[in-house]
Amino acid sequence: MKQLLGNWGKGFAIYLVLMILYPLVVPDAYFRSVGIVIGLHAIVTIGLCLVMGLAGQISLGQAAFWGIGAYTSAVLTTKYGLSPFVTLIVAAAVPALFAFILGRAIAGLQGYYLAMATLAFGYIAQIGMTEWESVTGGASGMISIPTIPFFGDTETGMFYLIWGIVTLVLLFSLNLFHSRVGRAFRAIHKSEIAATSMGIDVRRFKLNAFVLSGAFAGISGGLYAHYMGILDPQPFGMHESIKFLTMVVIGGMSSIWGALVGTVLINFISEGLILLGEVIPGLKGDLDTIVFGAILVLIVMFMPEGLVPRLRAIREKAQAKKAKGKMAPAPSTQSEQATERKAIP
Amino acid sequence: MTELLQYIANGLVSGGIYAIVAVGFITIYRVSKVINLAQGEFLMLGGMFTVALIGVNLPYGVAVLLAILAVTLIAIVLQKYVIAYVKNASALSLIILTIGLSTLFRGAASMVWGKDAYALEPITSNNPVSVAGVTIAQQGLWILATVLVVLLFLKYLMDKTMLGKKINACAINPMAARLMGINPARMSMIAFAISGATGALAGIVIAPLNVTSYDVGTLLGIKGFAAAILGGLGNPVGTVVAAFLIGIVESLGAGYISSGMKDAIAFLVLIAVLLIKPSGIFGERSVGKGGL
Repeated sequence: MKQLLGNWGKGFAIYLVLMILYPLVVPDAYFRSVGIVIGLHAIVTIGLCLVMGLAGQISLGQAAFWGIGAYTSAVLTTKYGLSPFVTLIVAAAVPALFAFILGRAIAGLQGYYLAMATLAFGYIAQIGMTEWESVTGGASGMISIPTIPFFGDTETGMFYLIWGIVTLVLLFSLNLFHSRVGRAFRAIHKSEIAATSMGIDVRRFKLNAFVLSGAFAGISGGLYAHYMGILDPQPFGMHESIKFLTMVVIGGMSSIWGALVGTVLINFISEGLILLGEVIPGLKGDLDTIVFGAILVLIVMFMPEGLVPRLRAIREKAQAKKAKGKMAPAPSTQSEQATERKAIP
Repeated sequence: MTELLQYIANGLVSGGIYAIVAVGFITIYRVSKVINLAQGEFLMLGGMFTVALIGVNLPYGVAVLLAILAVTLIAIVLQKYVIAYVKNASALSLIILTIGLSTLFRGAASMVWGKDAYALEPITSNNPVSVAGVTIAQQGLWILATVLVVLLFLKYLMDKTMLGKKINACAINPMAARLMGINPARMSMIAFAISGATGALAGIVIAPLNVTSYDVGTLLGIKGFAAAILGGLGNPVGTVVAAFLIGIVESLGAGYISSGMKDAIAFLVLIAVLLIKPSGIFGERSVGKGGL
């Protein structure tokens, strides 16, 4: 554990400082709300990163879990008057249960089945949210969802609440990545057959990753519902699932930090595109759809490992060069990448 | 009874379209082990190109031919410059790549044509035909005829021609095929071309029945993908039967349960089948070895 903290301690310290300072230094509420949305997305993408980077599976319906979490918490607070702190737990449990049922059948299988099943599940969930009008309010949605009383309902309070949860999720996932479980996961990612022969219950591990990602998405969805105060089924479709996917892929799916960096990056690109859309008149379509599609294609073609592992590799190369110049011994394994290489020859 | 027959007739029409998409999926999959999640966008592009070309006063037939040609070219370019470029990528990366391509096409189409829905004139008149109380749009008959022709053509191509034998050889063992002087990359390109052409044709014949817009491809693609998996990925006959089954089930669901739930019912059935029999209804045991 201590060694682990040593490994990513510096990065974590930078993260903490940035996170705490952000709402204090940004000029207006708009940036604070962008920060909150980034936090909400980050919880989802860290979960998705566990599924993709660790278990080597793909979920194309993460927005559905997000939406189910949002509706669960919203319905329980508005219709039954429960406290948001209670309903958030339920909001994590319900999508996790869905993920469990879906994953239990699919996770042991190989190939394209989970992609197919999650894609289909994403559609079913969104249709369900639209059609189950008595509970979800249908296409027109729900209004006056209570806010979470945290440091007096302010935007800044919400920011720290959400980023506090992001931090917990981040720490949990980083630890998971470096624990025995994480090594087992990475072994599965490299070769399922080899992993199985080493006594790893591949099926159970994949299922756990998937269920965990569902729970993370659910918590984030619940927070989203209480933050927005209104809900409709529109943001919980395929478009959002692809956006989550893009965030993980651009940052690098083998790295939890990559998911976080990717989330920040894609959100800023999104904001930039919205501005651009206002500048260019006669723009008819979705600028962001085309950009996300292009990012996915280009990353797979030219930088399949993603941004963070690529930058790390460049840094390591530079360090190795420096060390070689001084005739010093080779640098110790400092990163996930390096440890991984050592662990799995 | 009439009602039931009516629903089945509707189901057969949409099932036929899913069958073309699904066969497009497996044509590519068998040769190159790529699941092309952008398959549905071929249909969208086929329909939209035709609408656009008719919009510049080209005759119907010419517009259809040009649209099919354009989509085929796009499919070839995709294979040659994108898919072949990452040929050693994992199945996970290939899923990300093709879903990215699909997203890219959808975004591009929304930029070029906007988000409005366009109507395409039916091949013959709008008047429906009525047989024993079951009414079916004339375009529906055209669709069924097209599906039949496409499927029979593909069957002939794969079973009876040298090209089909070469493609099959690559599907069975690319290394051995290469030793026999067959170029697997070329066969993969041909598979993409076939999928692009048949997909575009399907997109064109279905456009008059529904409307066509920038986002019709996604759902059609997923239904076709579902049929391909239900049929056991790589088994053409099973795939076609599964596609018609999906069409009929969702049509019955829309009729007897709720039309809003139409797509959900089809997918629920798919998930249920995967739960019970993971290798698909006509599955071969070797399915899903997409390298993942």
